[in-house]
Amino acid sequence: MVVMGHEGAGKSTLSYTINGLIPRFFPGQYQGRVVVKGQEVAGKKVAEMSRHVGLVLQDFEAQLFSSNVELEMAFGPENHHLSRLEIERRIQRYLSLVGLEKLRRREPASLSGGEKQRLAIGSVLTIEPDILLMDEPVTDLDPQGREEVLSVAQKLKEEGHTILLVEHEPESAVGADRVWLMRDGHMVARGSPAEILVDVPMLESCGVKPPATIELFSAMGWPGKPLMVESALSLIGQHNLTQSRPLNFEVQFPLGSGEKFILQAEGLEYIYPAYGVKALRGIDLQIQEGEFIAILGQNGSGKSTLAKLLNGLLKPTAGRILVQGRPTTAYRHREMAEKVGYVFQNPDHQIFARTVVEEVEFSLKMLGKDSQTMQKRVAEALEAVGLQGYEKKVPFSLTRGERQRVAVASVLAAQPQVVILDEPTTGLDYRHQRSMMEMLKRLHEKGHTIIIITHSMWVAAEYAERIIVLKDGAILLDGPTRNVFFEEEKLAEASLRPPPLVRLSNILGTRALTVAQMVRELRI
Amino acid sequence: MILFLYLDQDTWIHRLEARTKIITVGILFSLCLCFNHPLYLAAISAGIMAIAIWARALPNIWKLRYILILLVIFSTLLWPFFAKGPTLLWSWGSLQISQESLLYGIGMGLRLATFVVAGLIFLSTTRHEEFINGLIRMGMPYPFAFALSTALRLVPTFVGVGATIIQAQTSRGLDLETGNIFRRVGKFIPQAVPLFIYAIRHTNYLAMALESRGFDPQSSRTLYYEPQLRRKDYGVLVFFVLLLGIMLYMRLGLSLGAVMPGRL
Repeated sequence: MVVMGHEGAGKSTLSYTINGLIPRFFPGQYQGRVVVKGQEVAGKKVAEMSRHVGLVLQDFEAQLFSSNVELEMAFGPENHHLSRLEIERRIQRYLSLVGLEKLRRREPASLSGGEKQRLAIGSVLTIEPDILLMDEPVTDLDPQGREEVLSVAQKLKEEGHTILLVEHEPESAVGADRVWLMRDGHMVARGSPAEILVDVPMLESCGVKPPATIELFSAMGWPGKPLMVESALSLIGQHNLTQSRPLNFEVQFPLGSGEKFILQAEGLEYIYPAYGVKALRGIDLQIQEGEFIAILGQNGSGKSTLAKLLNGLLKPTAGRILVQGRPTTAYRHREMAEKVGYVFQNPDHQIFARTVVEEVEFSLKMLGKDSQTMQKRVAEALEAVGLQGYEKKVPFSLTRGERQRVAVASVLAAQPQVVILDEPTTGLDYRHQRSMMEMLKRLHEKGHTIIIITHSMWVAAEYAERIIVLKDGAILLDGPTRNVFFEEEKLAEASLRPPPLVRLSNILGTRALTVAQMVRELRI
Repeated sequence: MILFLYLDQDTWIHRLEARTKIITVGILFSLCLCFNHPLYLAAISAGIMAIAIWARALPNIWKLRYILILLVIFSTLLWPFFAKGPTLLWSWGSLQISQESLLYGIGMGLRLATFVVAGLIFLSTTRHEEFINGLIRMGMPYPFAFALSTALRLVPTFVGVGATIIQAQTSRGLDLETGNIFRRVGKFIPQAVPLFIYAIRHTNYLAMALESRGFDPQSSRTLYYEPQLRRKDYGVLVFFVLLLGIMLYMRLGLSLGAVMPGRL
């Protein structure tokens, strides 16, 4: 079962009522009742309910606290006072189910994101609950980790477990038995994926991204409602809807048009001093003013390291980075804030002030601007992110999407030419992802150079002009978005896959990266 | 950031029970307090270093080598000013350095360094769960022991987040390198507030995860790593208690091993 809906629709709240965290852990007004296996949840302790209902949370870091994998798995059964023999048996069984047998003695902190989340699932499974709740278990993971976790979920489903999964991506919901759609605390629709995921207006009203294939078929007026690329292709073949055509690339690459480079990396290498790990091995890169770039790659491929080198937070071990022709090492941090802004992934890592205005003017204060300039700049920055009228609000009370905007505004206030954003859409629902990206598009149109690090393939496909794919600290692919997404085999080397629409586009031989573009192209 | 000192090895010392190790470390500390003559202390230090090699704890000691060396140097340099002895070596006004005080300083340096090494061996060979289980078996209530253990676990997490926060604020122009003390304190707020809020969120979240996995401080639970005192544990304890007895006798009964008999 997959639960979908916008941020604040009540998905998590609903799942917490099932294992008793609501009303036990979060008191509030509670009406009606939840019955699990004939027992009313409200009267039970969460610990009691954990025998029947397991819960896996989004933040995999906070769920793991033991010093090795085996003890993490043992924690639940230990609490239920099972015999050591039985605990041993369950660890064996569920470690192999989540595919972590070989890592039994490892410290959880040393695992990759996907492994951590699989461990979190395994550590709940050892209690052998009847129902497994997973609250956005893959939101914070890279594409490889997502795949790992979803395939574990699939395996559990085949074994007959009841799973309730909160998810944003429609592609992950296709394999479910039932989909629940929520909006503003109400259950809007319930049914099979084939019933729910095809209703584009309904999905959009719930802040869920409709499957691209459905959008395409309804826009073209084609028969059938395929949820996946494969079924779309067979429908196209069956009804002879269109012919595959040869793909000709005449994409004008902005490179070499004689304009000046704003960022250049030459023979760039970086070794983390604490670990001695070589994070970047020889990067050569030129970025021009006004580009919109997406950097793709798995976690640990060096994306964030590269980005932090570009704004001088890290100093290169070898090679150099030039910002407007001058090495980053020659800038002071303060000067850098006016050249290359960096928005960190989690807005809560930087928000500290009592009002939005105070937060946004922080960098200007640090730069020693006068109050008139500050006022003007703050107003501009807030307008750019669409937060006018929020000046006096408390940043902590805003939604995640709004806090993200505050963070962007606070970087924009210094008016850097280049803005780097680390996963700007992670943790946002479809509606907020769209508006965040539209905002970046507007900034780009105003002349800013935008560089995003992202795991979201459709975001990269629809908004970036140029894609850089990193693998193991080196550049695997670098080129115009359409060209890079055509290299499916190369992308697979980095465990990446173009979004469904682009895969379809590759097979049909169209240049389209969005549904609208494809409709236009196919109508010719 | 790696703050945990545990080294996942399988040595004889790793396999000792945590309670044995807790008590033994206590005895080792007492052994160091028996003497203040550097030669005697050097013998004890050498013995403890041998244990460190046996426990394969050398990488951790290597990590802290500068601290250990500094302890000895500073102690040697500073003690002569406070401890006075009869055999004068050098004097300048009221400052006097005697042979005894110099030796005493070296001895104290060795003693402190040996404390650290003994502690390091313990931390390198004992998982924090084993440590906690040991404390529970020694009578500490489980909720208290669990809170202690969780606090230990959270340190590296918070250090990591703290580093990210500093980077985030630095890239917004926060300049940590300049300014007088008052300006620097002001700069502390943009770092402290996000960390504080993070800590609250994180602990709340952790509590949710714990309860959802059946954690209930009141109910009885299994210890998967069942602490069991075996014959070798008793052997180790008996050995060290005897050793402590012998050394106490040497110092108190035979008055051996003290450059300054009046001092500890």
